[in-house]
Amino acid sequence: MGKLLFEWDYSSYPGARRYPHLFKPIELGNLTIPNRIKYAATEDNLNGRDGFVTDAGVAYLRERAKGVVGGICTMQGVYMDEKRQGQGYVGQAAAWHDKFIPGLKRLADAIHEQRAVACCQLMHCGRVGAVEVDYCQGPSDVPQRLRIFRPVREMIKADIKQCIKEHVEATERLLKAGFDIVEISGIVGYLLSNFVSGYTNRRTDEYGGDIRGRMRFLVELIQEVKKVCGDVPLGIRLCAEELLDDVGGNTPEESMISYEMAEEAGVDFFSVTAGWQESIVPVISRDVPMGSWIHLAKRAKEHVKVPVQMAYRLFRPDLPNKAIGEGHLDFWEMCRSMIADPLMPKKVLEGREEDIRHCVACNLCLARLFRDAPMTCYINPVCAHETDPQFIDPRPAEEEKNIMIVGGGPAGLECAYVAARRGHEVHVYEKREELGGTLIEASQAPYGDEELFNCIEYQKAQCEKAGVTFHLGTEVTEELIQDELPDTVVLATGPVYSKGKGAGFDGENVVNVLDVLSGKATVGDKVVVWGNRKPGIGVALFLAKQGKKVTIVGKDRSAGFDVNPSFKWRYMIYLRQNGVTAYNDCDIEEIKGDEVMVRTYDGYRFPVECDSVVATEREANDSLKDAVQAEGIELFVIGDALVPRNLSSAVHDGYRIGIRV
Amino acid sequence: MSFNAEQEINRLWRGLHGAQDEIGRTYYRWRQAALEAAGPDAKPLDVSLRAAEIMGTEIGKAFLPRLNWLKGEEAWLMNLAKSYAGNWINHGAIVKLEKGENPFEVLIKWERCPWPTFAKEYGAEMEEDVLCCDRILQSILKDVNVFFDVNYKIETLKAIPRGDGECLRRLYKD
Repeated sequence: MGKLLFEWDYSSYPGARRYPHLFKPIELGNLTIPNRIKYAATEDNLNGRDGFVTDAGVAYLRERAKGVVGGICTMQGVYMDEKRQGQGYVGQAAAWHDKFIPGLKRLADAIHEQRAVACCQLMHCGRVGAVEVDYCQGPSDVPQRLRIFRPVREMIKADIKQCIKEHVEATERLLKAGFDIVEISGIVGYLLSNFVSGYTNRRTDEYGGDIRGRMRFLVELIQEVKKVCGDVPLGIRLCAEELLDDVGGNTPEESMISYEMAEEAGVDFFSVTAGWQESIVPVISRDVPMGSWIHLAKRAKEHVKVPVQMAYRLFRPDLPNKAIGEGHLDFWEMCRSMIADPLMPKKVLEGREEDIRHCVACNLCLARLFRDAPMTCYINPVCAHETDPQFIDPRPAEEEKNIMIVGGGPAGLECAYVAARRGHEVHVYEKREELGGTLIEASQAPYGDEELFNCIEYQKAQCEKAGVTFHLGTEVTEELIQDELPDTVVLATGPVYSKGKGAGFDGENVVNVLDVLSGKATVGDKVVVWGNRKPGIGVALFLAKQGKKVTIVGKDRSAGFDVNPSFKWRYMIYLRQNGVTAYNDCDIEEIKGDEVMVRTYDGYRFPVECDSVVATEREANDSLKDAVQAEGIELFVIGDALVPRNLSSAVHDGYRIGIRV
Repeated sequence: MSFNAEQEINRLWRGLHGAQDEIGRTYYRWRQAALEAAGPDAKPLDVSLRAAEIMGTEIGKAFLPRLNWLKGEEAWLMNLAKSYAGNWINHGAIVKLEKGENPFEVLIKWERCPWPTFAKEYGAEMEEDVLCCDRILQSILKDVNVFFDVNYKIETLKAIPRGDGECLRRLYKD
C-alpha cells in the first residue's frame, strides 16, 4: 500500500455511487491516489516573462486543485534552460535556477492546501519552442510545416547531455519545492517527441535510426531523472499515435514500442496523447466525437503494466468511468474541461452535474496561448481572473434592484443568474416559449455544434437555483416596461438580421438563417448564403449536408473572421469537403428569381445561380433602448444586441454586467 | 439584372495584368535600392542571387503544407511541379508540365515569361535573370527535400534569356 498524502472518504457522495470507478483509489509508484481524477498540465501564460510564478498563476492552479477533490493537480510544464531554447510560451514558468524554487513552492503549497496531490511537469518545447530565441532545437533541422514556429537547429551530442542535465537539475528544484509527482512531457511536437518521431529525427548517430535509436535520448533522460526522483513517482506524457502519416511520422506499432521502452526505463505511469500540432487531422476540436480516442488508452494498457491516464475529449464523467471499469484506462485527465469549469470533478462527486459549465471544444484557449496572450476561456468568464475577487466571488449588491432582462439567450441568462446570486430580484422575459435565444437554432449546425447548447442548460440551472423568474412567451413592449418600471433593464435581445441594400431582398426566396436551421423555412437545391461569419458557415454546412449546392457570399476578407484560428481551419476543410464555394470580400447587389448578382469589394460583378438566399448578416438591436431611457431606467445592452459577435462574447458580456449591476 | 460578362472579364483581366506588372517592377525597384545601399563595390549578380535565395526559401516554406505525401510520390511530384508552375503563372508566365522519361521526373516548360522583359527594362543582364530563376527554383527545393526526406533536383535545359525560345527545366529524383 503506497503512501496516502490526504485522507478522503467519498462514500457519502452521490457521484461516488454513480461513477464508482472514478472515485476509487489507485497505486501510483509509492503513492496511493484516492481517486482517478487528474488535472493535466496546461499552459496558461499567466506567469512573468522572466519565468517567475505570479499570483495569477497560483490562483488559477488553486481553483483547479480544489476541483480534483484529492486527486492529482499538475502545474504547467516548466522550461529548464537559461538560454530559453525550451520555452514554448511567453508566460511559461521556469526551473533553470534555484531562484525559481520559492515560486514553484507556492504552486505546490496551493495544491496541498486543497488536499490534492501536487504533480509538476518538465517540458522542453523543442521544435515548437523558443519564443524568445530566434531558433529552436530539435534532433534534426527538419523545416517547420507551421510558419509560426522558429527554424530548427540540430542538437549536437553535447546539447543532448546538457538537456538531460537540465531536466535532472530542474527535477531537484521541483522536488525541493514540494511536488509529489514528476511528469515528463513528450507530446505534440515538443522536444522528446521530436526525438521519438521518424518525421523529425533523421539522425544517423546513436540517437537516430530505428525507433530504438530514436528512443535513446528519452530512455537516458528517464533513467537520469528517475535517479533524482527516488521514490517519487515519475510519469510521462507520450504520444500513442502521432497522426503524422503524411510526413513519415511513427506508426502505432512504433509508438507502442516507445511506451514499452519508457516503462522499462522506469516510468511509473503514462499519460496517453494523440496527434501533434502539425497533424492535419482534427484531434480535440468539437467536430471529434467525445470518447473517440479511448482506443488509444486501451492499446497502451495492452503494452504496459503501469497506470494509464488520458484526457482528449473525455468531457463527460460516464466515458472515463466506463473505460476505467472496463480496464481500458486508469485515470481521467482533464485540461480544457477544467479550464471551462475548474470544479467539474468536484461537482460530479457532489452529484451536481447540472452545475457544470461544459467546455465547447472551440480551442480558443490554445489559439490565445499560441499568440502569446494570457489564457482565456470562450465559455468561462472567470478563467484567468481568479485573483480578482469581483470575478471569482462577486460581492452582494449594495442595493437590491428589480432587474428586467429582455431575452433568454446566453447573454441574458448569464447576466440573470449572476445578478440574482448577488441579491437582485431578476426577471427574464423571453418572447419564445423556450430559453436559449439564437443558440436554439445555432446548435443545429453540424460538426458538434449541438454541444454549444450545454451552455444554456448550465445557465438555466443556475438561474433556477438563484431564484430568477422566467416570463416565457412574453414579448417586452414599451407598455410592459412602463407597467413594471424596473430599476434596471438589460437588453439581451439578440441581433437584428440585416436586409441587404440591393433589389430583391424583400422577395419570397430570401429566408432567415434561424428559420432555415429550425426547419421553418424550406430552400431550393441551389442556395446562396449571405454572410461569411460563423452563422453563415454553420447554415452553409447544414444545407450542404442535405445535398444542396451552397455558395457563401460575404463581406469579410476571409470566411470565419469571427471563428478563432484553432477551429477555423476545421471549417475551411469542411466547406471544401462539402463543395461549398465562398466568395469573400463580396456582397449581393441584386436578387432575382433564379440568380443573384455578386459584387466584389472593388466593383467586379458576376451572377450566381440560386433558388434561395439565406440571410445571416446581423446588426445591433436598438429596439426598446429609447423606451427604457425615456423612463430614466438604468440600461445595459449586452451580447449580440450590442454588437453581433459570438457565444463567447454573449457569455462574457452577461457575466460582466451581472457582477456590475 | 444586366450583366455584361465580356466587360467584367475585361476589367478583371486589366486588374490582373496591372498587378503582375507591379510585381516585376517592385522587384527591380528594390534591386536598385539594394544596389545603391550596398555601395559601388557590390556586384549586382551577388545581390540578386541572395534575393533569389531568400525568395526561393520563402516560397518553399509555403509549399510544405500544400504537398501531400499520402497520395504517393508520383502524385506528390506532380503537385510540386504544379506549385512551381503556379508561382510563375501568377506572375504572368505560361507554363506547361510534361512527365519525363523516368518515373520520378517532370519537365517544366515556360512558353512565356515576363521576367526577361523586366530585366531588360531595368537594365539587368540577361544571364542574371537565368541564374536568379535557377537559384529560386533550387532554394525552393531545399526545405522541401529535408521536410519530405527526399532528394530532388532541378536543372535548366533551355532559357528564354539565352535565346532558346523557351525555358525548360527538369525536376527529377537524384
